[in-house]
Amino acid sequence: MPLNYVWTLIGWVINDNLGFLEKKKERALYGLYFSLIVIGVTLIAAPISRLFDPNSALVTFMNGLEGVSFDSFFKLFGAHILWNGWAGARNIFWRKKLIPKFGRYKYCLYCDFVPKCIMVVLICWLPIYAIEDVVERVWKANLLFSIYSLFGFENVLENCAQNISPDTRERVLVRTYPIKLSHLAHSIIAIILPVIIGKLPNKWEDINVFHWVIPIAFVTSASLTMIFAGRIKERIPQPPLEKKVKIDFWDGIFGVMGNKYKWVNTIVGLLDSLGNGMLPFATILYLYTFRLSGLLYSLIVALVSFAGTPPDFFTPYFMRRFSFRQIMIFYQLSRAAGSAVIVASLFFFRTNVVLCGTVCVVVLILMEMCKTVPTSVGHDMDIRINDYQMYLSGERLESFSGVFGWFTGPIVSFVGLIIPLLLLSHGFNSNWDVLYVDDSRAYIIIIPILIDIAGYLLMTIPYIFWDYDDDKQNKVMAVLRRREEASLDGVEAPTEAREEASVHG
Amino acid sequence: MADKKKEKRANNLADQAVYDAYKDAIPENEAWTWQIEGLQPPHIGRPYQNAGVKKAVTVLILIVAIALSIFFSFRILHTDPFKYGETETDGAALIRFSNPGEMRSLTVDYAVSDVRTVVSTVTGEDGKPVQKTDYTLTPDKTRPVTSIGEYAFNCDEKLQEISIGAQVTSIDPKAFYSCYALKAFHVDPENPNYCDVDGVLFNKDKTVLLCYPIDHDLYLREKYGYTAQYWPTDKWREKGLDKYNKDYTPEYEARVNTYIVPETVKTIGPLAFNYAELFRIYLPEGLERLETMALFRNWHLEVCDTYTGKAPEGEIPALSNLKASLPDSLTFIGSDCFNCDEQLQYVFIPENVTEIGHHAFWGALKAASPDGVPRIYTARSGESLKANVTLGDQWRGEYDKGLFPHASEVIGGAARAQIDS
Repeated sequence: MPLNYVWTLIGWVINDNLGFLEKKKERALYGLYFSLIVIGVTLIAAPISRLFDPNSALVTFMNGLEGVSFDSFFKLFGAHILWNGWAGARNIFWRKKLIPKFGRYKYCLYCDFVPKCIMVVLICWLPIYAIEDVVERVWKANLLFSIYSLFGFENVLENCAQNISPDTRERVLVRTYPIKLSHLAHSIIAIILPVIIGKLPNKWEDINVFHWVIPIAFVTSASLTMIFAGRIKERIPQPPLEKKVKIDFWDGIFGVMGNKYKWVNTIVGLLDSLGNGMLPFATILYLYTFRLSGLLYSLIVALVSFAGTPPDFFTPYFMRRFSFRQIMIFYQLSRAAGSAVIVASLFFFRTNVVLCGTVCVVVLILMEMCKTVPTSVGHDMDIRINDYQMYLSGERLESFSGVFGWFTGPIVSFVGLIIPLLLLSHGFNSNWDVLYVDDSRAYIIIIPILIDIAGYLLMTIPYIFWDYDDDKQNKVMAVLRRREEASLDGVEAPTEAREEASVHG
Repeated sequence: MADKKKEKRANNLADQAVYDAYKDAIPENEAWTWQIEGLQPPHIGRPYQNAGVKKAVTVLILIVAIALSIFFSFRILHTDPFKYGETETDGAALIRFSNPGEMRSLTVDYAVSDVRTVVSTVTGEDGKPVQKTDYTLTPDKTRPVTSIGEYAFNCDEKLQEISIGAQVTSIDPKAFYSCYALKAFHVDPENPNYCDVDGVLFNKDKTVLLCYPIDHDLYLREKYGYTAQYWPTDKWREKGLDKYNKDYTPEYEARVNTYIVPETVKTIGPLAFNYAELFRIYLPEGLERLETMALFRNWHLEVCDTYTGKAPEGEIPALSNLKASLPDSLTFIGSDCFNCDEQLQYVFIPENVTEIGHHAFWGALKAASPDGVPRIYTARSGESLKANVTLGDQWRGEYDKGLFPHASEVIGGAARAQIDS
């Protein structure tokens, strides 16, 4: 765990410099990462445990643990070291190689597509589950899934599409129409796949789900992603990469900490964490209150999630008509009100499952409808914050923003203890069947929602301080565009911060 | 409509004009330092004021934050083995028991003030060193445990035997939910409210059956001296074989996988038989209530019949004393009572039943019918059932056919089936 903090710190510097580091620093980091790879592979392949006394207390203790042994501990640790070395080295290499050509948001598609597909197929076909020895199964599965997670492929295109345009209105339009249509396609797949899987003899537990359904669905979707990725072009106004501002570690840290709007978002996130540990309420409703399964389950899930789509087509109107502050405060209040109705329904109709479930589904649909516009606004707020950060620091510092998570970590961890402990007192443990007990189900859902409602109400406060309006955004974009023009005309950023590395992309 | 379009276009143009005008107002050589009114000035390529102090403070805060994060993360994993509350009398209420690791048996009589773990290395059957863990509990004799709370032992997977002291006067029906390894209760004979019969927990006068331990079959195997060849093994499970071998002798099945509820019992409590590994259960004529989730998830249960007279010991009641399905004396069937009792072959709801809880037969009777349609037989006609019996939502369960689930079939006005073998 402490090692992760070190890897993360190094990663921030690489990411926010887009992989373009000073030669000396680059060589040092490559040296570090290749050393980690060698150490990792050695720990996995070599019988390190034989160097220790097999009768020692530590070895006996480790061997007594379930799923782990003293020998496998080194392999698990080796996988961690290998992963970080490999991830770090390819992070520098591919960013430097691909960002000049494809931009900062979609470059990873081009280096991750093939290995990700291979890993999906390997996970689905390798008979790791058939290894009799649990210890061996655990470390091999860990290694496999670690390598799988090395290649990111999730929501890259959507993230890219949301960030590409420097024009606020265009961004909103992109988010409102094409992205929503892609969500519709996603909803259709989410209906079709469970139906196909439902036709298999053992349903979700059928081996063919893993051998055929998942790989085919993944490779097809990933291929479509790659086809459409070529049509998206990143258009953030920025100087050429060889003239970009160099971000040192402390520049990054102080840069993000000086951004008032990041603090607003952080405090909102902190208050939102009050609901951490909450169970997926809607899923519980469908499975334990309504007892849904098969096509009916898929249809209701799709109906609720689709309810948010039509209002999104009015997003441009709402964003023009109301300020971000008004929309976000309304959103939190609507969440609080909706959750209050759900709590009342669960409390008063706990044994009348059909009535209770119907009220909850109707409220969920209304909440989903109220959610979509604020969600788009929230995305745009994040992008505006990054634009503003670029105005402040010369870079977007998206990775350095992670430092806020470190500050809020202890509070989030502490808050995260509250709900699980409360749920435990009402019987929620490793056995989810407790959700069939009416009283327990009601309390297991109600208690976290009540805490959530308090969080929603408190979240309105930070948004009062959000004063970053369209005018300011336009001016920030004008400054960024001006900087781009100035760089092209040979006017450089302040000397100390100039990128010294050359681009070899 | 046209006016609105014009207005929108005008707004767009106005925004663009503001944008262009502002861009042009910024001199190129000031692009990196230009401050927008109402926003902070850019800070690019300049040293920060008091950078040393700021760095030190930031590092300090980060170290504290990270340390606290790690602490809380580990705190999540730590739980005290015993958690007690106060009761109205001088006694203690056992609120939560968290197994410290390998504890197999526990006596609930006095509050435990200290738990010592003794780890020793012994030689295993294969000659290799094996770690053995023992626990020494220090009871606080001034604090007798008088009640065991809701979900006190929830999901414990190690505890096999629980001894209940003389002063425990209240046990919540959900106290032993999901105790998968539990094989027997032992109640102090001096206890005024509870007793055990062959490891099964009852109230003192045996009118309420409170809990049949999930792994009671292990207790019975040991009691009757069945060797490991009859026991389920992990190897069988990995090969996809059923937990129980159908080729067992009828004697074994009668002794280990059959339970005859004593004739004194009027109520089977909530969750009493949760996850029990039974093939057959015989209810006494005289039983009035099957509470909520009483026979919840008895995956292997095939027979739930009624006997009259006195309960025979260790053998299936004589055919002359048996009738198929539920007793005539039954008035109440709680919610989720037979949830997922898939193998159950036949259910007949007698006339005296006045209330059936929601999802009472959810997922039950799936294997009973060759055409895949679960059927429930009722003494009352369909109309009478609706008019005179309080029926919970989806009480009869569903089955899959085509794209959508269908409600199980109810055959009203039926006569009880005869047991022919």
